[in-house]
Amino acid sequence: MDAVSARRRAMKRIRGRTLAWLTKPANIVLLVFAVALTVLTLYPLLSLCAETLTIHPGREARAAQQTAGELSLYHFQRLFATRENDYSRIQFYEPLLNTLLVSVSASLIAIVFGGTVAFLVTRTNLKYVKFVSAVFTFPYIMPSWTLALFWENFFKNVNIGLKTSNGIMAAVFGVYMPEWFVYGAFPIALVLGLHYAPYAYILIGTMLRNMDANLEEAATILRTRRARIIRRITLPVVRPALMSTFLLVFASSMSAYSVPVFLGSPVRYYVLSTKMKSLMDSYPGQAYIIASVMICMGVVILLLNQRVTNSRKNYTTVTGKSSRISKINLGRANYPLAILLVVLLLLVAVTPLLTFAMESIIVKAGDYSPGNMTLDFWIGTNLEARLDQGDSTGILLNPRVWSALGYSLSLAAVSAFVAGTCGILLGYGVAKRRGSRLANLVNSLSFFPYLMPSLAFGAIYLAMSAKLPWLRGFMLLALVGSVKYLPFASRSGLNAMLQLSGEIEEAAIINGVPWWKRMLRVICPIQKTSILSGYLVPMVSCMRELSLFVLLVPTSNTLLTTMLMQYSEKGWAQFGNAINLLIIIVVLLVNFIVNKLTGASIDKGVGG
Amino acid sequence: MPEIFLKNVAKSFGKVVAVDQLNLQILSNSFITLLGPSGCGKTTILRMIAGLETPTQGQISIGNRVVFDSEQGVNLPPNKREVGFLFQNYALWPHMTVYQNIAFGLENMKWGKDKIHARVKELLEMLRIEQLEQRYPSQLSGGQQQRVAIARTLAPGPKVLFMDEPLSNLDAKLRMEMRTELKRLHRETDSTFVYVTHDQQEAMTLSTMVCVIDKGRLQQYAPPLQMYNNPASVFVADFLGNPAMNFVDGHITGDGVLTFGGIGVRFTPFNAVTLGERDVVVGIRPEYIRIGDGDMEGTVYSTLPSGMETAVKLNVNGVSLTSVVFGDVDFPVDKKVRFSFNKATVLFDRDSGRSLARGALSAL
Repeated sequence: MDAVSARRRAMKRIRGRTLAWLTKPANIVLLVFAVALTVLTLYPLLSLCAETLTIHPGREARAAQQTAGELSLYHFQRLFATRENDYSRIQFYEPLLNTLLVSVSASLIAIVFGGTVAFLVTRTNLKYVKFVSAVFTFPYIMPSWTLALFWENFFKNVNIGLKTSNGIMAAVFGVYMPEWFVYGAFPIALVLGLHYAPYAYILIGTMLRNMDANLEEAATILRTRRARIIRRITLPVVRPALMSTFLLVFASSMSAYSVPVFLGSPVRYYVLSTKMKSLMDSYPGQAYIIASVMICMGVVILLLNQRVTNSRKNYTTVTGKSSRISKINLGRANYPLAILLVVLLLLVAVTPLLTFAMESIIVKAGDYSPGNMTLDFWIGTNLEARLDQGDSTGILLNPRVWSALGYSLSLAAVSAFVAGTCGILLGYGVAKRRGSRLANLVNSLSFFPYLMPSLAFGAIYLAMSAKLPWLRGFMLLALVGSVKYLPFASRSGLNAMLQLSGEIEEAAIINGVPWWKRMLRVICPIQKTSILSGYLVPMVSCMRELSLFVLLVPTSNTLLTTMLMQYSEKGWAQFGNAINLLIIIVVLLVNFIVNKLTGASIDKGVGG
Repeated sequence: MPEIFLKNVAKSFGKVVAVDQLNLQILSNSFITLLGPSGCGKTTILRMIAGLETPTQGQISIGNRVVFDSEQGVNLPPNKREVGFLFQNYALWPHMTVYQNIAFGLENMKWGKDKIHARVKELLEMLRIEQLEQRYPSQLSGGQQQRVAIARTLAPGPKVLFMDEPLSNLDAKLRMEMRTELKRLHRETDSTFVYVTHDQQEAMTLSTMVCVIDKGRLQQYAPPLQMYNNPASVFVADFLGNPAMNFVDGHITGDGVLTFGGIGVRFTPFNAVTLGERDVVVGIRPEYIRIGDGDMEGTVYSTLPSGMETAVKLNVNGVSLTSVVFGDVDFPVDKKVRFSFNKATVLFDRDSGRSLARGALSAL
């Protein structure tokens, strides 16, 4: 009798505790996300691992002389340890070294360029600061292939690469650049570096801006020279931010696909991501191994980054009342430096757009005389009569372009809405239950998609959708987009929630305000800007995304980006350039409108 | 000999005037406090003297050397002014140990290694932080960080030391301890201290001269006790002393009869002044209202006993007066008590708020 009642009491206690646990919305949120994210990220990851051990039908099965579907270590052995014809060296080790070389160089370029500009903007009385900081984020907002295409358009010539036509440099100025300058490691590293420089600029600039000015003033009072202050005080204090930037740019460059495709493939210069794509059709097992290697590298980088950012705690100091930093007077160097920077920025951010516009209106490639120009590729009709290739109408009159634009926009909007909303909820749950095991789990799970190279991520979901017939078309794309961009949204959501002191919500709890109302009426309005930024980053990224969707779209006319890809594969350069310009304008426009309407901006919720 | 000289110094941020036409002489080896409510411009003044902020106009000299002159275009950078500066939040470099923090300034002066070592040891000992030598700032408590910051500032042996609310981040007990320490350091280092605070008690207890500032203007510049007893204006009188001085609107006749709050008394000035008949503000320090006996009667409104003393708020004909009674006494609320005025009372002009006369009150 006693034992029974004791057990009953224990049961009651457990039930009571569970119910109490479930009355906290944060717990429910975390529980839901833990389950959902396990399915959406761990499952793909495990299936990726399974793919590396499976023999796929077709060429792969024939080459391995095994039956399809069999489990085997063949792919590993083939990719890592085949001396015959230098197979492993060509297919894996060289691309690996190239990836490391390109990513390290790109990170250094991004940090040196972005960091210098951040320093000039925050610490000196540089002229035109407003212009510089506004235009500097352009390359980051634009698709990453923008600069790559520009580079190729500008410098290509008939002696190198695909030897098709002359770019502006050769055609107009008669300068024929050597191959290493136009294709391969150098331009890839440079273009990636320039693309991610704004990212470094934002991270380092924030750190410099938040750094206590007294730290530098204290050194000034102790008779320290400027150069020594920068070397001994400023740099060491921002070092964690520098390290963190280095690692994140490294991770992003490593998984970049479109830049090495444009600037590497024409001269058979491969990095891991492009190698993976080229292996995907014939030897998917090996491609999946490369994807796994990239994910492992990503995990290592993430762990390193976590260590670096955690140690940053030592470096945060209570900011004093004097945030008025005395800025370095650049004196006579001011105008030359400012003008140099403005010219450089115009080159990087504005000239690409001009060359795209230019390339989209010339009839015969390589001839930039006015007689060779036409607006047909934009607004022409019955083009087949006049041109030997391409569509029959200019892109602005082409219904397929408009439907692709609509599809791209709605995909971006839906993905951004889902990712952004989940990001807020997730941030709320993690912030409320900070330090608990469940919160840590959900937090790490939500970061997983960041580590997966977009192409591999797309490939995995493609494999998954084969087994789930209802997961098709728009829904599949929106799901992939939402999951892939969740890390950015959840990070800005978490930051927003951490900034909010618990009392703000507690005051509403005391007054009996229900949870959904607390979120909608109290928490979100207070952190409006950073929450909206959490929506903006997925929106803009999704709009310009190519590699994530390229394997998943039903037809290549579906999205603007895949249309661009299709056109450039067919060699319809003018149409391609026109669509490229259209994408960039739409992305900049979306960013501008959201920024003006809400104050949210991309630099408040930086992504990869 | 004046160590620091400010002549017509002004500073405006855009249209906002932070400091207006300031003239100030700071004597060598003095400990002066810039006292005022937050936003009055005191930190700006300090930063201008140190060279961290550039004045809009005026002239500043330190130790007979002009360090700033708007007309001559002189503006020495802070590192050339040979001053020390102690920041409110200490501004210790997070990536350096205590030793490195203190030694950094000496390295800039190209001192030898042994000499630096000896000097750092001396300072560690002076501030009793020898055991913290190899720690990083994040491993120190607030009070310890404060000591390291002081050591770092003192290391090069500056003749002038500026301190910007250095104790405001400490708890009450530690603040008390550091005050004693600062006063001792002032004697030991034989240098001039310029100290910014909004805490009147800190200013009273530490300094040799207090400089009260309001809205960017100098209100009064005098030794602390003199300022306490003889405030130049209602603002200064109100700012010094805790509990604050009682201010009651009153009227004085030509023959010295002062009426306020339904009380009529005779006012006898200490110095020969002609007041005439006018509206005044009567300023009475709480400790000069003695409860127990006397000719006047009031009702106890509330009491705040703190053990050592009790602040009693009296209601006298609708006017409230605060009195401080020493010792552990308490009074029941709403009880009628008798009281009298003793020692000094200050009369201020009703319109300008300037002090008119100091004198004694007696029954008619």
